[in-house]
Amino acid sequence: MKRSIPLAICLVMGIAMMIQFFVPHPVSVGFFDLTTKWVRIVAAFALVLGTGSLVMYHVDKLKRKREGWVYSIVTLVAALVTTVVGLGWGVKPGRPLQDVIFQNFLVPLNASMFAILAFYMASAAYRAFRARTREAALLLIAAFVVMLGMVPIGAKIPMFWFMVALAVALLIVGITGRSKMLVVGTGVLVVGLLVWMGFWKFRVPQLMLPDTAEWVLSVPNMAAKRAILFGVALGGIATSLKVILGIERGWLGGGKQ
Amino acid sequence: MRIFDFLLKIDRRIIYIVMAVLVTLPLVKPLGLGVTSGPRATALFEAVDQIPAGKTLLISVDFDPSSMPELYPMLTALMRHAFAKNVKVLMCGLWLTGAGLADQAVQTIAPEYQKKYGEDVVYLGWKAGVDAVILGMGANIKDVFANDYYGHPLDSLPMMREVQRLRDIPLAVAISAGTPGYADWLLYGQSRYGLRVGVGITAVSAADAYPFLQSGQLTGLLAGMKGGAEYEVLVQQHGYSKAYMPAVAAMDSQSLAHVVILVLVVIGNVAFFATRRRRPV
Repeated sequence: MKRSIPLAICLVMGIAMMIQFFVPHPVSVGFFDLTTKWVRIVAAFALVLGTGSLVMYHVDKLKRKREGWVYSIVTLVAALVTTVVGLGWGVKPGRPLQDVIFQNFLVPLNASMFAILAFYMASAAYRAFRARTREAALLLIAAFVVMLGMVPIGAKIPMFWFMVALAVALLIVGITGRSKMLVVGTGVLVVGLLVWMGFWKFRVPQLMLPDTAEWVLSVPNMAAKRAILFGVALGGIATSLKVILGIERGWLGGGKQ
Repeated sequence: MRIFDFLLKIDRRIIYIVMAVLVTLPLVKPLGLGVTSGPRATALFEAVDQIPAGKTLLISVDFDPSSMPELYPMLTALMRHAFAKNVKVLMCGLWLTGAGLADQAVQTIAPEYQKKYGEDVVYLGWKAGVDAVILGMGANIKDVFANDYYGHPLDSLPMMREVQRLRDIPLAVAISAGTPGYADWLLYGQSRYGLRVGVGITAVSAADAYPFLQSGQLTGLLAGMKGGAEYEVLVQQHGYSKAYMPAVAAMDSQSLAHVVILVLVVIGNVAFFATRRRRPV
Protein backbone atom coordinates (compact mmCIF):
# COMPACT_ATOMS: atom_id res chain seq x y z
CA MET A 1 0.00 0.00 0.00
CA LYS A 2 2.79 2.38 0.97
CA ARG A 3 4.26 2.06 -2.50
CA SER A 4 1.32 1.08 -4.70
CA ILE A 5 -0.88 4.11 -3.83
CA PRO A 6 1.80 6.72 -4.70
CA LEU A 7 2.61 4.74 -7.87
CA ALA A 8 -1.08 4.71 -8.87
CA ILE A 9 -1.43 8.48 -8.19
CA CYS A 10 1.70 9.13 -10.23
CA LEU A 11 0.45 7.04 -13.16
CA VAL A 12 -3.04 8.58 -13.25
CA MET A 13 -1.87 12.18 -12.77
CA GLY A 14 1.03 11.81 -15.21
CA ILE A 15 -1.22 10.55 -18.00
CA ALA A 16 -3.99 13.06 -17.12
CA MET A 17 -1.58 16.01 -17.27
CA MET A 18 -0.15 14.83 -20.60
CA ILE A 19 -3.65 14.64 -22.14
CA GLN A 20 -4.68 17.92 -20.50
CA PHE A 21 -1.84 19.81 -22.23
CA PHE A 22 -3.34 19.09 -25.66
CA VAL A 23 -7.03 19.66 -24.76
CA PRO A 24 -8.13 23.32 -24.50
CA HIS A 25 -11.67 22.40 -23.21
CA PRO A 26 -12.84 24.45 -20.14
CA VAL A 27 -12.98 21.27 -18.03
CA SER A 28 -9.38 20.53 -18.92
CA VAL A 29 -8.31 24.14 -18.19
CA GLY A 30 -10.19 24.04 -14.84
CA PHE A 31 -8.44 20.78 -13.95
CA PHE A 32 -5.10 22.37 -14.82
CA ASP A 33 -5.81 25.44 -12.62
CA LEU A 34 -6.80 23.19 -9.74
CA THR A 35 -3.68 21.04 -9.97
CA THR A 36 -1.34 24.05 -10.13
CA LYS A 37 -2.90 25.19 -6.82
CA TRP A 38 -2.17 21.75 -5.38
CA VAL A 39 1.42 22.01 -6.58
CA ARG A 40 1.86 25.36 -4.79
CA ILE A 41 0.54 23.85 -1.55
CA VAL A 42 2.78 20.79 -1.89
CA ALA A 43 5.76 23.10 -2.60
CA ALA A 44 5.07 24.98 0.65
CA PHE A 45 5.11 21.67 2.57
CA ALA A 46 8.31 20.70 0.79
CA LEU A 47 9.96 23.81 2.26
CA VAL A 48 9.08 22.63 5.78
CA LEU A 49 10.37 19.16 4.91
CA GLY A 50 13.60 20.64 3.53
CA THR A 51 14.17 22.74 6.65
CA GLY A 52 13.53 19.69 8.85
CA SER A 53 15.94 17.60 6.82
CA LEU A 54 18.63 20.31 7.06
CA VAL A 55 18.25 20.58 10.83
CA MET A 56 18.33 16.78 11.29
CA TYR A 57 21.46 16.48 9.15
CA HIS A 58 23.35 19.10 11.13
CA VAL A 59 22.16 17.84 14.53
CA ASP A 60 23.39 14.36 13.56
CA LYS A 61 26.74 15.82 12.41
CA LEU A 62 27.04 17.63 15.73
CA LYS A 63 26.20 14.51 17.80
CA ARG A 64 28.79 12.40 16.00
CA LYS A 65 31.34 15.26 15.97
CA ARG A 66 32.01 14.67 12.28
CA GLU A 67 34.59 16.82 10.46
CA GLY A 68 33.48 20.46 10.29
CA TRP A 69 30.89 20.06 13.08
CA VAL A 70 31.65 23.61 14.27
CA TYR A 71 30.07 24.96 11.08
CA SER A 72 26.93 23.01 11.87
CA ILE A 73 26.58 25.12 15.04
CA VAL A 74 26.74 28.26 12.89
CA THR A 75 24.08 26.86 10.54
CA LEU A 76 21.75 25.82 13.35
CA VAL A 77 22.15 29.07 15.30
CA ALA A 78 21.57 31.12 12.13
CA ALA A 79 18.46 29.06 11.27
CA LEU A 80 17.13 29.43 14.83
CA VAL A 81 17.76 33.18 15.07
CA THR A 82 16.21 33.81 11.63
CA THR A 83 13.15 31.73 12.54
CA VAL A 84 12.67 33.43 15.92
CA VAL A 85 13.11 36.92 14.45
CA GLY A 86 10.81 36.09 11.53
CA LEU A 87 8.07 34.60 13.71
CA GLY A 88 8.43 37.18 16.49
CA TRP A 89 8.70 40.42 14.53
CA GLY A 90 7.26 39.42 11.16
CA VAL A 91 8.77 39.26 7.68
CA LYS A 92 7.56 42.54 6.20
CA PRO A 93 9.96 45.34 5.17
CA GLY A 94 11.06 47.53 8.07
CA ARG A 95 11.17 44.59 10.48
CA PRO A 96 14.49 43.23 11.86
CA LEU A 97 14.45 40.22 9.51
CA GLN A 98 14.62 42.51 6.51
CA ASP A 99 16.58 45.46 7.89
CA VAL A 100 19.09 43.69 10.11
CA ILE A 101 19.46 40.07 9.01
CA PHE A 102 18.98 40.55 5.27
CA GLN A 103 20.60 43.94 4.68
CA ASN A 104 23.38 43.77 7.27
CA PHE A 105 24.25 40.07 7.29
CA LEU A 106 23.06 38.20 4.21
CA VAL A 107 23.85 40.86 1.59
CA PRO A 108 27.47 41.57 2.65
CA LEU A 109 28.26 37.92 3.44
CA ASN A 110 26.88 36.65 0.15
CA ALA A 111 28.52 39.41 -1.89
CA SER A 112 31.90 38.86 -0.17
CA MET A 113 31.76 35.12 -0.84
CA PHE A 114 31.22 35.73 -4.53
CA ALA A 115 33.84 38.51 -4.71
CA ILE A 116 36.52 36.20 -3.26
CA LEU A 117 36.03 33.95 -6.31
CA ALA A 118 38.00 36.43 -8.45
CA PHE A 119 41.11 35.76 -6.35
CA TYR A 120 40.68 31.99 -6.33
CA MET A 121 39.98 31.94 -10.06
CA ALA A 122 43.16 33.91 -10.80
CA SER A 123 45.26 31.57 -8.67
CA ALA A 124 43.57 28.41 -9.99
CA ALA A 125 43.85 29.51 -13.64
CA TYR A 126 47.57 30.21 -13.17
CA ARG A 127 48.17 26.76 -11.67
CA ALA A 128 45.84 24.54 -13.67
CA PHE A 129 45.24 26.10 -17.09
CA ARG A 130 48.09 24.48 -19.04
CA ALA A 131 48.26 23.68 -22.75
CA ARG A 132 49.31 20.08 -22.04
CA THR A 133 47.41 18.67 -25.03
CA ARG A 134 46.12 20.00 -28.36
CA GLU A 135 42.56 20.08 -26.96
CA ALA A 136 43.71 22.02 -23.89
CA ALA A 137 45.60 24.45 -26.15
CA LEU A 138 42.45 25.05 -28.22
CA LEU A 139 40.43 25.61 -25.05
CA LEU A 140 43.07 28.05 -23.84
CA ILE A 141 42.99 30.09 -27.06
CA ALA A 142 39.17 30.16 -27.06
CA ALA A 143 39.21 31.27 -23.40
CA PHE A 144 41.66 34.06 -24.24
CA VAL A 145 39.49 35.30 -27.11
CA VAL A 146 36.23 35.21 -25.11
CA MET A 147 37.67 36.63 -21.87
CA LEU A 148 39.26 39.58 -23.65
CA GLY A 149 36.42 39.97 -26.14
CA MET A 150 33.84 40.31 -23.38
CA VAL A 151 35.44 43.31 -21.64
CA PRO A 152 35.91 46.89 -22.94
CA ILE A 153 39.68 46.52 -23.24
CA GLY A 154 39.12 43.75 -25.83
CA ALA A 155 37.19 46.12 -28.09
CA LYS A 156 40.43 47.98 -28.69
CA ILE A 157 42.39 44.91 -29.82
CA PRO A 158 42.28 43.92 -33.52
CA MET A 159 42.03 40.14 -33.98
CA PHE A 160 44.98 40.23 -36.37
CA TRP A 161 47.39 41.61 -33.77
CA PHE A 162 46.01 39.20 -31.20
CA MET A 163 46.92 36.34 -33.55
CA VAL A 164 50.39 37.84 -34.15
CA ALA A 165 50.92 38.04 -30.36
CA LEU A 166 49.71 34.45 -30.08
CA ALA A 167 52.18 33.33 -32.77
CA VAL A 168 55.05 35.11 -30.99
CA ALA A 169 54.03 33.58 -27.65
CA LEU A 170 53.81 30.11 -29.21
CA LEU A 171 57.25 30.55 -30.79
CA ILE A 172 58.83 31.65 -27.48
CA VAL A 173 57.20 28.80 -25.58
CA GLY A 174 58.13 26.35 -28.37
CA ILE A 175 61.80 27.42 -28.37
CA THR A 176 62.23 27.60 -24.58
CA GLY A 177 60.41 24.31 -24.13
CA ARG A 178 62.06 22.73 -27.21
CA SER A 179 58.63 21.64 -28.37
CA LYS A 180 58.52 20.76 -32.07
CA MET A 181 54.74 20.68 -31.96
CA LEU A 182 54.53 24.32 -30.83
CA VAL A 183 57.10 25.53 -33.37
CA VAL A 184 55.18 23.75 -36.16
CA GLY A 185 51.96 25.24 -34.72
CA THR A 186 53.51 28.71 -34.97
CA GLY A 187 54.41 28.05 -38.61
CA VAL A 188 50.84 26.99 -39.40
CA LEU A 189 49.51 30.10 -37.63
CA VAL A 190 51.87 32.42 -39.57
CA VAL A 191 50.83 30.84 -42.89
CA GLY A 192 47.17 31.23 -41.85
CA LEU A 193 47.75 34.89 -41.02
CA LEU A 194 49.41 35.52 -44.41
CA VAL A 195 46.51 33.84 -46.24
CA TRP A 196 44.07 35.90 -44.19
CA MET A 197 45.98 39.08 -45.04
CA GLY A 198 45.93 38.00 -48.67
CA PHE A 199 42.15 38.17 -48.64
CA TRP A 200 42.48 41.75 -47.38
CA LYS A 201 45.02 42.71 -50.09
CA PHE A 202 47.83 42.60 -47.49
CA ARG A 203 46.34 45.21 -45.22
CA VAL A 204 45.58 44.49 -41.54
CA PRO A 205 42.07 42.93 -41.45
CA GLN A 206 39.50 45.08 -39.64
CA LEU A 207 38.19 42.31 -37.41
CA MET A 208 38.22 43.15 -33.71
CA LEU A 209 38.50 40.68 -30.84
CA PRO A 210 34.84 40.99 -29.68
CA ASP A 211 33.68 39.93 -33.19
CA THR A 212 35.66 36.71 -32.86
CA ALA A 213 34.45 36.20 -29.28
CA GLU A 214 30.90 36.62 -30.57
CA TRP A 215 31.57 34.00 -33.26
CA VAL A 216 32.98 31.55 -30.69
CA LEU A 217 29.84 31.98 -28.56
CA SER A 218 27.35 31.95 -31.43
CA VAL A 219 28.71 29.05 -33.49
CA PRO A 220 30.84 26.38 -31.75
CA ASN A 221 29.45 27.13 -28.27
CA MET A 222 25.85 27.13 -29.49
CA ALA A 223 26.31 23.89 -31.43
CA ALA A 224 27.62 22.17 -28.29
CA LYS A 225 24.93 23.70 -26.08
CA ARG A 226 22.17 22.65 -28.47
CA ALA A 227 23.44 19.08 -28.48
CA ILE A 228 23.51 19.07 -24.68
CA LEU A 229 20.02 20.61 -24.47
CA PHE A 230 18.57 18.02 -26.86
CA GLY A 231 20.24 15.26 -24.87
CA VAL A 232 18.90 16.65 -21.59
CA ALA A 233 15.38 17.04 -23.05
CA LEU A 234 15.30 13.49 -24.41
CA GLY A 235 16.69 12.19 -21.11
CA GLY A 236 14.01 14.17 -19.25
CA ILE A 237 11.24 12.67 -21.37
CA ALA A 238 12.60 9.14 -20.91
CA THR A 239 12.97 9.59 -17.14
CA SER A 240 9.47 11.10 -16.83
CA LEU A 241 7.97 8.15 -18.71
CA LYS A 242 9.88 5.74 -16.46
CA VAL A 243 8.55 7.53 -13.35
CA ILE A 244 4.97 7.67 -14.67
CA LEU A 245 5.00 4.00 -15.65
CA GLY A 246 6.53 2.97 -12.32
CA ILE A 247 9.79 1.66 -13.79
CA GLU A 248 11.87 4.27 -11.96
CA ARG A 249 10.94 4.18 -8.26
CA GLY A 250 13.83 6.02 -6.62
CA TRP A 251 11.51 8.95 -5.75
CA LEU A 252 9.50 6.68 -3.42
CA GLY A 253 12.47 6.52 -1.06
CA GLY A 254 13.47 3.53 1.02
CA GLY A 255 11.55 1.76 3.79
CA LYS A 256 9.27 -1.25 4.00
CA GLN A 257 6.39 -1.99 1.64
CA MET B 1 66.39 28.73 -15.88
CA ARG B 2 65.87 29.84 -12.29
CA ILE B 3 63.50 32.51 -13.50
CA PHE B 4 61.16 29.85 -14.96
CA ASP B 5 61.24 27.91 -11.70
CA PHE B 6 60.24 31.09 -9.89
CA LEU B 7 57.49 31.82 -12.44
CA LEU B 8 56.13 28.30 -12.01
CA LYS B 9 55.75 28.72 -8.26
CA ILE B 10 54.50 32.26 -7.70
CA ASP B 11 53.07 32.49 -4.20
CA ARG B 12 49.29 32.74 -4.25
CA ARG B 13 49.43 35.69 -1.84
CA ILE B 14 51.34 37.70 -4.48
CA ILE B 15 48.60 36.84 -6.99
CA TYR B 16 45.92 37.96 -4.53
CA ILE B 17 47.68 41.28 -3.86
CA VAL B 18 48.21 42.01 -7.58
CA MET B 19 44.55 41.17 -8.27
CA ALA B 20 43.32 43.32 -5.36
CA VAL B 21 45.41 46.32 -6.42
CA LEU B 22 44.44 46.13 -10.09
CA VAL B 23 40.74 45.69 -9.33
CA THR B 24 40.68 48.54 -6.81
CA LEU B 25 42.70 51.11 -8.75
CA PRO B 26 40.18 51.71 -11.58
CA LEU B 27 37.42 52.17 -9.00
CA VAL B 28 39.44 55.07 -7.51
CA LYS B 29 40.75 56.41 -10.80
CA PRO B 30 38.68 55.17 -13.79
CA LEU B 31 40.57 54.27 -16.96
CA GLY B 32 37.69 55.41 -19.17
CA LEU B 33 37.85 52.41 -21.51
CA GLY B 34 34.23 53.06 -22.47
CA VAL B 35 31.39 50.65 -23.20
CA THR B 36 29.71 50.18 -26.56
CA SER B 37 26.34 48.46 -26.71
CA GLY B 38 26.09 45.19 -28.57
CA PRO B 39 23.16 43.82 -30.58
CA ARG B 40 21.73 41.68 -27.76
CA ALA B 41 21.49 44.53 -25.25
CA THR B 42 20.12 46.80 -27.98
CA ALA B 43 17.45 44.21 -28.84
CA LEU B 44 16.22 44.18 -25.23
CA PHE B 45 16.40 47.96 -25.01
CA GLU B 46 14.28 48.32 -28.16
CA ALA B 47 11.76 45.76 -26.89
CA VAL B 48 11.30 47.75 -23.66
CA ASP B 49 11.29 51.00 -25.63
CA GLN B 50 8.42 49.74 -27.81
CA ILE B 51 6.09 48.99 -24.88
CA PRO B 52 3.31 51.58 -25.11
CA ALA B 53 3.05 54.06 -22.22
CA GLY B 54 0.61 52.79 -19.58
CA LYS B 55 1.30 49.12 -20.34
CA THR B 56 3.24 46.89 -17.99
CA LEU B 57 6.75 45.47 -17.95
CA LEU B 58 7.19 42.40 -15.75
CA ILE B 59 10.59 42.06 -14.08
CA SER B 60 11.38 38.81 -12.32
CA VAL B 61 14.15 39.24 -9.74
CA ASP B 62 15.68 35.77 -9.75
CA PHE B 63 18.99 36.37 -7.99
CA ASP B 64 20.40 36.82 -4.52
CA PRO B 65 23.00 39.15 -3.02
CA SER B 66 25.91 37.01 -4.28
CA SER B 67 25.17 38.07 -7.87
CA MET B 68 24.07 41.56 -6.89
CA PRO B 69 27.12 43.41 -8.34
CA GLU B 70 26.48 41.81 -11.74
CA LEU B 71 22.69 41.82 -11.89
CA TYR B 72 21.38 44.65 -9.71
CA PRO B 73 22.58 47.37 -12.17
CA MET B 74 20.49 45.65 -14.87
CA LEU B 75 17.43 45.82 -12.61
CA THR B 76 17.85 49.52 -11.84
CA ALA B 77 18.61 50.43 -15.48
CA LEU B 78 15.53 48.53 -16.67
CA MET B 79 13.33 50.22 -14.08
CA ARG B 80 14.69 53.67 -14.99
CA HIS B 81 14.04 52.99 -18.67
CA ALA B 82 10.48 51.82 -18.02
CA PHE B 83 9.61 54.69 -15.69
CA ALA B 84 11.08 57.27 -18.07
CA LYS B 85 8.80 55.86 -20.81
CA ASN B 86 5.79 55.85 -18.42
CA VAL B 87 5.67 52.08 -18.62
CA LYS B 88 4.35 50.45 -15.44
CA VAL B 89 6.54 47.93 -13.66
CA LEU B 90 5.29 44.72 -12.08
CA MET B 91 7.92 42.84 -10.10
CA CYS B 92 8.10 39.37 -8.64
CA GLY B 93 10.83 36.87 -7.85
CA LEU B 94 11.55 33.16 -7.99
CA TRP B 95 14.38 33.40 -5.41
CA LEU B 96 13.44 33.85 -1.77
CA THR B 97 16.76 35.53 -0.95
CA GLY B 98 16.23 38.05 -3.73
CA ALA B 99 13.00 39.41 -2.23
CA GLY B 100 14.77 42.15 -0.28
CA LEU B 101 16.76 43.27 -3.34
CA ALA B 102 13.64 43.87 -5.39
CA ASP B 103 12.16 45.82 -2.47
CA GLN B 104 15.33 47.93 -2.32
CA ALA B 105 15.01 48.72 -6.04
CA VAL B 106 11.34 49.70 -5.67
CA GLN B 107 12.15 51.98 -2.73
CA THR B 108 15.04 53.75 -4.50
CA ILE B 109 14.18 53.94 -8.23
CA ALA B 110 10.43 54.70 -8.18
CA PRO B 111 10.83 57.98 -6.20
CA GLU B 112 13.49 59.19 -8.71
CA TYR B 113 10.70 59.39 -11.33
CA GLN B 114 7.92 60.40 -8.92
CA LYS B 115 6.18 57.07 -9.51
CA LYS B 116 3.48 56.01 -7.06
CA TYR B 117 3.38 52.56 -5.56
CA GLY B 118 0.22 50.74 -6.63
CA GLU B 119 -0.34 52.97 -9.66
CA ASP B 120 2.98 52.76 -11.51
CA VAL B 121 4.80 49.96 -9.76
CA VAL B 122 3.77 46.86 -7.83
CA TYR B 123 5.99 44.28 -6.20
CA LEU B 124 4.38 40.90 -5.70
CA GLY B 125 7.15 39.24 -3.71
CA TRP B 126 8.02 35.55 -3.66
CA LYS B 127 5.92 32.38 -3.48
CA ALA B 128 7.06 28.78 -3.32
CA GLY B 129 6.44 26.57 -6.32
CA VAL B 130 8.28 28.14 -9.32
CA ASP B 131 6.50 26.39 -12.23
CA ALA B 132 3.16 26.39 -10.43
CA VAL B 133 3.61 30.09 -9.63
CA ILE B 134 4.28 30.99 -13.28
CA LEU B 135 1.45 28.78 -14.55
CA GLY B 136 -0.87 30.24 -11.90
CA MET B 137 0.09 33.79 -12.94
CA GLY B 138 -0.82 32.82 -16.49
CA ALA B 139 -4.34 31.98 -15.36
CA ASN B 140 -4.85 34.70 -12.74
CA ILE B 141 -2.17 36.63 -10.86
CA LYS B 142 -4.48 37.24 -7.90
CA ASP B 143 -4.91 33.50 -7.42
CA VAL B 144 -1.20 33.19 -6.74
CA PHE B 145 -0.55 36.52 -5.03
CA ALA B 146 -3.63 37.59 -3.09
CA ASN B 147 -1.51 40.32 -1.46
CA ASP B 148 1.62 42.10 -2.64
CA TYR B 149 4.99 41.98 -0.85
CA TYR B 150 3.91 44.75 1.54
CA GLY B 151 0.63 43.06 2.45
CA HIS B 152 -1.75 45.19 0.36
CA PRO B 153 -4.56 43.16 -1.26
CA LEU B 154 -4.03 43.23 -5.05
CA ASP B 155 -7.65 44.35 -5.53
CA SER B 156 -6.78 47.58 -3.72
CA LEU B 157 -3.97 48.47 -6.18
CA PRO B 158 -5.20 50.41 -9.25
CA MET B 159 -2.44 49.06 -11.51
CA MET B 160 -3.55 45.47 -10.95
CA ARG B 161 -7.01 46.13 -12.40
CA GLU B 162 -5.46 46.17 -15.87
CA VAL B 163 -2.94 43.42 -15.24
CA GLN B 164 -4.76 40.24 -14.37
CA ARG B 165 -2.80 37.52 -16.12
CA LEU B 166 0.42 37.04 -18.08
CA ARG B 167 -1.34 37.69 -21.39
CA ASP B 168 -1.88 41.32 -20.24
CA ILE B 169 1.89 41.84 -20.09
CA PRO B 170 3.70 42.74 -23.35
CA LEU B 171 7.19 41.85 -22.10
CA ALA B 172 8.81 40.10 -19.17
CA VAL B 173 12.49 40.38 -18.28
CA ALA B 174 13.91 37.68 -16.06
CA ILE B 175 17.09 38.77 -14.30
CA SER B 176 18.49 35.38 -13.42
CA ALA B 177 21.52 34.05 -11.59
CA GLY B 178 20.67 30.41 -12.27
CA THR B 179 17.82 28.04 -11.55
CA PRO B 180 14.96 28.87 -11.15
CA GLY B 181 15.15 31.68 -13.66
CA TYR B 182 14.64 32.65 -17.28
CA ALA B 183 14.34 29.01 -18.41
CA ASP B 184 11.23 28.59 -16.24
CA TRP B 185 9.68 31.74 -17.70
CA LEU B 186 10.34 30.31 -21.19
CA LEU B 187 9.06 26.83 -20.32
CA TYR B 188 5.88 27.85 -18.55
CA GLY B 189 5.25 31.53 -19.29
CA GLN B 190 6.13 31.57 -22.98
CA SER B 191 5.22 28.09 -24.19
CA ARG B 192 1.80 28.13 -22.49
CA TYR B 193 0.82 31.81 -22.44
CA GLY B 194 2.92 33.32 -25.25
CA LEU B 195 4.79 35.63 -22.87
CA ARG B 196 7.61 37.56 -24.57
CA VAL B 197 10.75 37.07 -22.50
CA GLY B 198 14.02 39.01 -22.31
CA VAL B 199 16.82 38.07 -19.97
CA GLY B 200 19.59 39.50 -17.85
CA ILE B 201 22.01 36.83 -16.73
CA THR B 202 25.38 36.33 -15.03
CA ALA B 203 28.33 36.16 -17.45
CA VAL B 204 29.12 32.60 -16.42
CA SER B 205 25.65 31.39 -17.47
CA ALA B 206 25.40 33.48 -20.64
CA ALA B 207 26.58 30.70 -22.94
CA ASP B 208 23.56 28.60 -21.87
CA ALA B 209 21.14 31.29 -23.06
CA TYR B 210 22.51 31.65 -26.60
CA PRO B 211 20.46 28.81 -28.18
CA PHE B 212 17.23 30.42 -26.89
CA LEU B 213 18.33 33.76 -28.27
CA GLN B 214 19.05 32.42 -31.74
CA SER B 215 15.77 30.49 -31.84
CA GLY B 216 13.93 33.76 -31.13
CA GLN B 217 12.54 32.58 -27.80
CA LEU B 218 14.50 35.28 -26.00
CA THR B 219 13.89 38.86 -27.08
CA GLY B 220 17.25 40.18 -25.87
CA LEU B 221 20.09 39.28 -23.57
CA LEU B 222 22.17 41.19 -21.05
CA ALA B 223 25.20 39.07 -20.23
CA GLY B 224 27.01 39.79 -16.99
CA MET B 225 28.20 43.15 -15.79
CA LYS B 226 29.02 44.11 -19.36
CA GLY B 227 25.39 43.54 -20.34
CA GLY B 228 24.29 45.76 -17.45
CA ALA B 229 26.82 48.42 -18.49
CA GLU B 230 25.61 48.29 -22.10
CA TYR B 231 22.01 48.81 -20.95
CA GLU B 232 23.01 51.67 -18.64
CA VAL B 233 24.80 53.36 -21.56
CA LEU B 234 21.75 52.94 -23.83
CA VAL B 235 19.44 54.40 -21.17
CA GLN B 236 21.71 57.43 -20.72
CA GLN B 237 22.32 57.91 -24.45
CA HIS B 238 18.56 58.16 -24.99
CA GLY B 239 18.26 60.69 -22.17
CA TYR B 240 16.14 58.50 -19.89
CA SER B 241 18.47 58.79 -16.91
CA LYS B 242 21.40 60.78 -15.61
CA ALA B 243 22.02 58.54 -12.65
CA TYR B 244 25.40 57.07 -11.67
CA MET B 245 26.15 53.93 -13.72
CA PRO B 246 27.62 51.30 -11.35
CA ALA B 247 28.13 48.62 -14.02
CA VAL B 248 29.95 51.03 -16.37
CA ALA B 249 32.16 52.15 -13.47
CA ALA B 250 33.03 48.53 -12.65
CA MET B 251 33.89 47.53 -16.23
CA ASP B 252 37.44 48.97 -16.01
CA SER B 253 38.08 46.79 -12.97
CA GLN B 254 36.68 43.76 -14.73
CA SER B 255 38.86 44.45 -17.78
CA LEU B 256 41.98 44.54 -15.64
CA ALA B 257 40.92 41.43 -13.70
CA HIS B 258 40.58 39.52 -16.99
CA VAL B 259 43.98 40.79 -18.14
CA VAL B 260 45.58 39.72 -14.84
CA ILE B 261 44.16 36.20 -15.21
CA LEU B 262 45.31 35.94 -18.83
CA VAL B 263 48.82 37.22 -18.02
CA LEU B 264 49.06 34.67 -15.19
CA VAL B 265 47.96 31.88 -17.54
CA VAL B 266 50.62 32.96 -20.08
CA ILE B 267 53.30 33.09 -17.36
CA GLY B 268 52.24 29.67 -16.06
CA ASN B 269 52.39 28.13 -19.55
CA VAL B 270 55.74 29.69 -20.52
CA ALA B 271 57.29 28.44 -17.27
CA PHE B 272 55.60 25.05 -17.67
CA PHE B 273 56.99 24.45 -21.17
CA ALA B 274 60.42 25.89 -20.30
CA THR B 275 60.86 23.52 -17.36
CA ARG B 276 59.00 20.53 -18.82
CA ARG B 277 62.11 18.73 -20.12
CA ARG B 278 63.76 18.84 -16.71
CA ARG B 279 60.80 17.30 -14.89
CA PRO B 280 60.65 13.55 -14.44
CA VAL B 281 57.71 11.98 -16.32
